[in-house]
Amino acid sequence: MISRRALELATAVLTGGFGVAVVTSSFDNGIGWSSAGVEAGTFPFLTGIIIVLGSIYNLVRGVLPVASLANVRVAITQIELRRLAGLFVPAAIFVAAIPPLGIYIASALYVFAVLAIPQHQSVPRALAMAGAASLALYVVFERMFQVSLPHGALAAALGF
Amino acid sequence: MGRTSTFLLSAAATVLAGTMPALSAWQPQKPIEFVATAGPGGGTDNLARAVQNIITKHKLTEQPIVVVNKGGGSGAEGYVYGKASAGDPYKVIFGTSNAWQQPLVSKVAFNYTDLTPIAAMAQDEFLLWVKQDSPYKNAGDYLKAAASGEFKMGGAQSKDTDEVLTRMIEKVGKVKLTYIPFKSGAETAVQLAGGHLDSHVNNPSESLGQWRGGTQRPLCVFSPKRLPQGPKVTATEGWSDVPTCVEQGLDIKQYEQPRTVWLPGKVTPEQAAFYVDLMKKVQATPEWKDYIEKTSQVDTFLTGAEFDKFIKEDLEHVKQVAGEQGWLVK
Amino acid sequence: MDNLAELLHGFTIAVTVPHLALMAVGVLLGILVGVLPGLGAPNGVSLLLPLTFGMQPVSAIILLSSMYWGALFGGSVTSILFNIPGEPSSVATTFDGYPMARDGRPTTALATAFGSAAFGALVGVVLITFLASWVAQVALAFGPAEYFAVYFLAFASFVGMGGAAPIKTVVALAIGFAIAAIGIDTVSGSVRLNMGIDELVKGVSFVVAVMGLFGIGELLVAVEEEFHARAVSSRIDWREVFRAVGRLPRHGVALLRSAAIGCWMGITPGGPTAASFMSYGIARRFSRRGRYFGTGEVEGIISPETADHAAGTSALLPMLSLGIPGSATAAVMMGGLMIWGLNPGPMLFVDQKDFVWGLIASMYVGNIVAVVLVLLTVPVFAALMRIPFVVIAPLIVIICVVGAYSVSNSYLDVVMMLGFGVVGYLFKKLFYPLAPLVLAIVIGDKAEDAFRQSMLMSKGSLGIFFANKLVTCLIVAGIALLLLPLVLQLARLWRKPASPTADTTSQEKVII
Repeated sequence: MISRRALELATAVLTGGFGVAVVTSSFDNGIGWSSAGVEAGTFPFLTGIIIVLGSIYNLVRGVLPVASLANVRVAITQIELRRLAGLFVPAAIFVAAIPPLGIYIASALYVFAVLAIPQHQSVPRALAMAGAASLALYVVFERMFQVSLPHGALAAALGF
Repeated sequence: MGRTSTFLLSAAATVLAGTMPALSAWQPQKPIEFVATAGPGGGTDNLARAVQNIITKHKLTEQPIVVVNKGGGSGAEGYVYGKASAGDPYKVIFGTSNAWQQPLVSKVAFNYTDLTPIAAMAQDEFLLWVKQDSPYKNAGDYLKAAASGEFKMGGAQSKDTDEVLTRMIEKVGKVKLTYIPFKSGAETAVQLAGGHLDSHVNNPSESLGQWRGGTQRPLCVFSPKRLPQGPKVTATEGWSDVPTCVEQGLDIKQYEQPRTVWLPGKVTPEQAAFYVDLMKKVQATPEWKDYIEKTSQVDTFLTGAEFDKFIKEDLEHVKQVAGEQGWLVK
Repeated sequence: MDNLAELLHGFTIAVTVPHLALMAVGVLLGILVGVLPGLGAPNGVSLLLPLTFGMQPVSAIILLSSMYWGALFGGSVTSILFNIPGEPSSVATTFDGYPMARDGRPTTALATAFGSAAFGALVGVVLITFLASWVAQVALAFGPAEYFAVYFLAFASFVGMGGAAPIKTVVALAIGFAIAAIGIDTVSGSVRLNMGIDELVKGVSFVVAVMGLFGIGELLVAVEEEFHARAVSSRIDWREVFRAVGRLPRHGVALLRSAAIGCWMGITPGGPTAASFMSYGIARRFSRRGRYFGTGEVEGIISPETADHAAGTSALLPMLSLGIPGSATAAVMMGGLMIWGLNPGPMLFVDQKDFVWGLIASMYVGNIVAVVLVLLTVPVFAALMRIPFVVIAPLIVIICVVGAYSVSNSYLDVVMMLGFGVVGYLFKKLFYPLAPLVLAIVIGDKAEDAFRQSMLMSKGSLGIFFANKLVTCLIVAGIALLLLPLVLQLARLWRKPASPTADTTSQEKVII
């Protein structure tokens, strides 16, 4: 269970962190006016400062029990969290599997796993869909439009 | 990708060195990727696609060729990609002189030494352009006027070929110009036509339509001799009628932008030789002549030691200009 | 009417059996690449380009431009059905198109979008036909300061209109600007904000951000709510297609206003993306049902779609007459023009009459062919909504992954896309508005470049933004649009003291 307050806090910290990163790296590019006009770091610096200030404001508002936020104690319930994980975790594993396996094998496995393991579809149907998805990708991208998708380390090792 | 197989193949074919490209024994075994270090529609992209088209039409290799655009970061994206593909002979990188110029002036994660040079295939000329109705008849008038007022010179990208040339003009002509960088030469040409700039140094193909349309005209060309006779551009004039800048007292003898072709680093000499040979065959086709003429470029072919020498000389020169301007990255 | 005679001559070139066949092929291929995120019109055009070298230039450009129309139409399909805009210019279509489709009315949403898009395109072509030379002159008047003013106007008309908490809007907008700044800076040539990652030198592509923020983010929101699309009636409903198109004239004001905004932004080089955002923003502010925007309003679809296509069409004119491509696709086509031996520029209209007027005539015919074909496909696409969520979800993930990857064949982009997905979910959950963020990513760096170019020209004086009538008008209009909501709010506050609780909760209902 995640409270709205915790979520607001986490997001404000996230945006604030990005802001700090923007501000610090903008120093490399110079800030202000030079013979070459407005220096490259000026705008990133200003936007970074705005992000940091805004994040601090959001952080404070998120922590203080302001009227509207006090009404929503729970932002994500246990069940919702499980559903979210159910979608996101396999997707993240899929993305992580692309460099070693290549997109075709990874996507087939992904579709199969997502459909067959929670028993949304029977195993043969899941297999068929996985194969079809992978094949469709290959035909449309690699063949029709000559867009090369990642083949992965496995394919390279096999000499493709 | 495919490193093992290509290694075996090339190991079996070490008999011939790159000196005899026509007999090179290495042959590609899978599709080849042409990486254009520019967005679709730019000069570099056009070259990559023209070469692809010629190779496919004449079946100069059995393997299909795919062109991908990696023009992010003024081309740095494509070069970084080439660097990351070290040892992969199926990636051919098409670029310009920014392969060695860019690392001098900005913190990019590559240098031209990370790549294997194949050839410089064509040279784009530079001209000094002014608005059609401006009072300057020649480069001398232009410099005189520029000395009094502050002129706005436009160009594509920053600290790239156009700005280097602008700084050279400043030095030789003893004037001060305000350089304003735009995304591309075409955009710069329109800004000049609209009267927002005083001049620019576009390549012929970037301003050809504008010249014909009577919105701007060239004062002189940065070349040791006049451009070759071609069809008339306007009713009365063609490229060969444009005087050289030296003739008009702007003493910059030569300034050209080569279109360069590279392989990633760590490829074998046989693999490099195959592509040198391939590009030579491309250059021998009538379609190539056609392409060169239509884009008003100069047909050249530098490879091996000649290409190296060209790079070194250009590098020295750019280093000098960049050093004077304080552009060199620490 | 010289132009009219030329146009009629053009029709004799465009309306021939081979050319009509080329149009149909082009449009169908265009719809396909438009629908598939990851492929776009530039892919299709650059694929076909080598095939066209053997053709007459006019046939070739008809094939390529038909493909462009098809892709423009196709791009709206995924925006409406799955909240995944494939092109920057169809982002604004998601705001009301997706809620309407989710509400069980995908057919209506698609048909409305296509109908108004066709209207916008036709207005754009009419403009090109009759005002070609004038339009080219207008475009020339735009220097860096004027460019900046146009972008400023687009921001002003859009920002400050959402119902989100103002500070959250500001943060979202600033993050968008910062993301746009990543990569090599045009004005200084130096690398910015790459945070130590070499590959980021290429910048963060809009597609990567949007696939994550909208596509994956929406998927996460949907799965959390255990969303099932409201049952779409199972029979293919052709009548609803015609009914939706038939209802369009009732929104005549919105159509005309959006077409005008689109044409204006197409000629002044603001482009289709800025046009669609601006049109949506203005519609929301001035429509009587503006309050309901974001929940599936018809005018919320009409406004961005009409403006997008009007701008996309009229933007072809600067390409032909000046040689500045308004989009990546136009750039590829321009490369083609040069290889065919035609030089874009003012003389094209004089030297190559057959080509230019054949093309313009083909825009009329091509758009009609495109809208007919695309309307025929509506029920097919709408049927996609009937696929169960558990099946469609992994497919959407794969599409987003492939889409992000194929932007520049980069795995880093895929990882970033997934990261943007989490951000999109958090932002949606906490009522941070996504639209200003996306608008800033798309035109933030262009606005910055224009500002800095202007400053170079004026040597640091802001006076350049008031140097002539054109730029002054634009800037003043922008400031007025920016201040309008503030003034209205103050007036309301002055009349009756606000009750903050009620206000915030109602504000958090609809945020785009």
